[in-house]
Amino acid sequence: MSIITFTNWIATAPSWIQGLPEWLQTLCYQFWQTFIYQDRWHFFVDGLKITFIVTLGALALGIIIGIIIAVIRVSYDNSIEKKIPLVIRILNSFCKLYLTIIRGTPMMVQLLIMGFVIMVPKTDGGMIVCGIVTLGINSGAYVAEIARSGIMSVSRGQTEAGRSLGLNYFQTMRLIIIPQAVKNILPALGNEMITLLKDTSLVSVIALRDVTKQAQNIVSKTYQAYIPYISLAVIYLIIVIVLTKLLGIFERRLRKSDHR
Amino acid sequence: MITVKDLHKTFHTPDGDLQVLKGVSDHIEKGEKVVIVGPSGSGKSTFLRCMNLLETPTSGEVWFEDKLVNDKKSDIDKIRMQMGMVFQHFNLFPHKTIMQNITLAPTKLKLMSKEEASEKALQLLKRVGLVEKADAYPAQLSGGQKQRIAIVRALAMNPKVMLFDEPTSALDPEMVGEVLQVMSELAESGMTMAVVTHEMGFAREIADRVLFMHDGLILEQAPPSEFFGNPQNPRLQDFLAKVL
Ligand SMILES: Nc1ncnc2c1ncn2[C@@H]1O[C@H](COP(=O)(O)OP(=O)(O)OP(=O)(O)O)[C@@H](O)[C@H]1O
Ligand SMILES: [Mg+2]
Repeated sequence: MSIITFTNWIATAPSWIQGLPEWLQTLCYQFWQTFIYQDRWHFFVDGLKITFIVTLGALALGIIIGIIIAVIRVSYDNSIEKKIPLVIRILNSFCKLYLTIIRGTPMMVQLLIMGFVIMVPKTDGGMIVCGIVTLGINSGAYVAEIARSGIMSVSRGQTEAGRSLGLNYFQTMRLIIIPQAVKNILPALGNEMITLLKDTSLVSVIALRDVTKQAQNIVSKTYQAYIPYISLAVIYLIIVIVLTKLLGIFERRLRKSDHR
Repeated sequence: MITVKDLHKTFHTPDGDLQVLKGVSDHIEKGEKVVIVGPSGSGKSTFLRCMNLLETPTSGEVWFEDKLVNDKKSDIDKIRMQMGMVFQHFNLFPHKTIMQNITLAPTKLKLMSKEEASEKALQLLKRVGLVEKADAYPAQLSGGQKQRIAIVRALAMNPKVMLFDEPTSALDPEMVGEVLQVMSELAESGMTMAVVTHEMGFAREIADRVLFMHDGLILEQAPPSEFFGNPQNPRLQDFLAKVL
């Protein structure tokens, strides 16, 4: 029996609660049902773990995909004046197709297709991977644009210095341009992480038990939406505020190291 | 060592085509020091940058020793390893220490082990008097120091020729001397050099031959005594009257 009625609950509640106005009693009852009864706060903690794992995994994958795409697109743009190698032309077409598809379809739809058509995970681990891959592929399309502007913000002279020493195009990119570009785009990547964190709330459609899904689970047990969903919003909000603060500190540190 | 034959270069810009080199030919001997002067926009940088293919010639030939540089089949990276280049704006790698700036290319291109490269770097740093900056970052150096490091970075590859594109133009006047000093010593050591500069005193001092470029052509070339003492072309006379 997982439902204890309000009347039963209030009878056993501490006396300070019994002294409260009735609407506050109701809130306390809902809060108790959401977090304390049967240790339900565990649902939130477990959900948050999944949320963080998927966010960080997708961010890492998105950064890798994004940088690769950015390098291909910049290579294509840079070789306009000479003849463009066939490989670069083919890769560039792939990138364009990828960007068009990913940006042209809702994330929810991408999750449904990955979860129920392409990957069809059966295990918990498989579902996490599916969530990371889908969000990572999606994020990659946005990171690509960020990374492209990051690469272009590194001065031409850096490429010329690298090439004039005999490094080839990709060595120059890897050793000289990308490290500087990444430093330039770290703040933007921080914002991408925050976006991703919020987007992970969609993974519940492939039955991944992230914090949003867990809040839904609690609602389905208590039949009361108010406290679980408001709490869910507050949880996201607190994480985003903390992350934003941390990023601000980090960004200031970075800028300081520029003027040593 | 370097032979340039009938070099043409046209830039295609949104405002139309810009013909910057209009048939430049020259031959630089091993050990020769060639200084290139001329008014702004005359194509000096473009000419120099065609030698190591930072600019692709529109037509003509660039030979380095027995290799055609602007040939599709030539291994341009191999050729560039033997041609050092120094830029007006230094172009040091800001995310690397001075030591890393110098050793990056020799080690990544597997020309030297880490130890060999650091030893070579220290030796070169000693030569330019900047050993104590080995662990500093470029942002911590003055302009003159940066340019001396840029020269060292190029020399660490043991190049056969060094190209300089206005190496002192971005420097405060009081720092020009220290860079020219390093370049003079390099010239004395027998390095083959091609230098674009506005420093006429330096040209007079180290050049075997001075080229005057104007509007995409070499209009005059002579040893410095003749070049400065008895210029023939009226455009060169004008130019020298303005800069001397
Ligand atoms: N990448 C480019 N695209 C278009 N135009 C260019 C490019 N590089 C150079 N030019 C133009 O070619 C002309 C010659 O340039 P170049 O840099 O060779 O001259 P310069 O003799 O080195 O002049 P300066 O003394 O000012 O350095 C200039 O008009 C310049 O604007
Ligand atoms: Mg120039």
